[in-house]
Amino acid sequence: MTDTLEDRLKRLIVETLVLEDVDPASIETEAPLFGEGLGLDSIDALELALAIHAEFGVRTREDDSRNREHYHSVGSLAAFIRDEQAKASASGA
Amino acid sequence: MTDSTPRTGEHPVPGRTRGALDAVLRRTRRPRVALTFAVYSALAPLAFASFWVLYVLGPHERVRRARRMQRICAGAFRFMHGALSRLAILRFDRRAGFGPGVLPAGPCVVVANHPSRMDISSITAVLGGGCTVVKPAFFRKRSLRALMDGCWHIEGPGDNPLATGRVVDEAVERLRHGFSVIIFPEGTRTPASGLLPFGRTAFEIACRAKVPVVSVAVRCDPPWMTKETPMFAPPHPVPRLRLVQLATDAPASVDFESRALRQRVEARFQLWLREARTSREGT
Repeated sequence: MTDTLEDRLKRLIVETLVLEDVDPASIETEAPLFGEGLGLDSIDALELALAIHAEFGVRTREDDSRNREHYHSVGSLAAFIRDEQAKASASGA
Repeated sequence: MTDSTPRTGEHPVPGRTRGALDAVLRRTRRPRVALTFAVYSALAPLAFASFWVLYVLGPHERVRRARRMQRICAGAFRFMHGALSRLAILRFDRRAGFGPGVLPAGPCVVVANHPSRMDISSITAVLGGGCTVVKPAFFRKRSLRALMDGCWHIEGPGDNPLATGRVVDEAVERLRHGFSVIIFPEGTRTPASGLLPFGRTAFEIACRAKVPVVSVAVRCDPPWMTKETPMFAPPHPVPRLRLVQLATDAPASVDFESRALRQRVEARFQLWLREARTSREGT
């Protein structure tokens, strides 16, 4: 069975933020990451942004007004990564 | 609710006189607030213009300018609270400071709950200055630019979670220059239903700058200028604003782990709030 981007992201979240009592498989793809969802905070978002850059080579710009949208859920984060990777390969081609 | 503390002045007054004064205060509370607001609205543009003059003509070296403007701002807040106390609109004794607590000698991160609009002015009046993390909508007001930039306040992250990195960096820089940083970790005013969850920014700043966190509890009794009690519906008796330093926490005590520091401080505020409610209900 192949690992989807969403699965890799769930594992990355748990490992990066040391969520010891969270099973990556239990994270719902469309559930909010912040507040009432997984309960992450803005410092977690920063750590996650660094980990995403290291793992997928996708840099999140601090002043991007769509950050809240991109970091809403695992699903939106995966869409953002795919988008950025597609842009990078298009400009490299 | 009864209250044995005299509300009508600094000194106890005989029962009949107190009763008469109390009745006058109750009847005139709305006109007094309206009049004070009108005077404030008339004077505020002058005050902001004075800040612009100070900003333009004062020292251009950032740190020196910030110290000077923060001192002036704290003085203005002391004057304002003195006037509000004398007019029996809001009692706040800034000389009582943060209660029995002793502030650290050096810079620190001050965290507080945020029940009313008067919290930041009272904390600044006691601290004598400090760089405050301010909501972007407020920070970017053109009329406040001299005040915000001159005092070296910090624009908050708003709803962009990744802007927190800039806030942390800027706050650490202020602390390294010897300024204290004031943050309301709930990010907005505290609702009557209880504390909102604390964000981690204040605690991350303290851990990175290796400075203590001072927890200051704000109590306005009866509540006024909260989310639920608007300015023009002043309660009676005259609201009393009090600041109490709950504790000072060194980040080293939690191995510079901002998550643990946040949990410890938030739990302390929750406990304080429960006790404050119990004592209010008991009076």
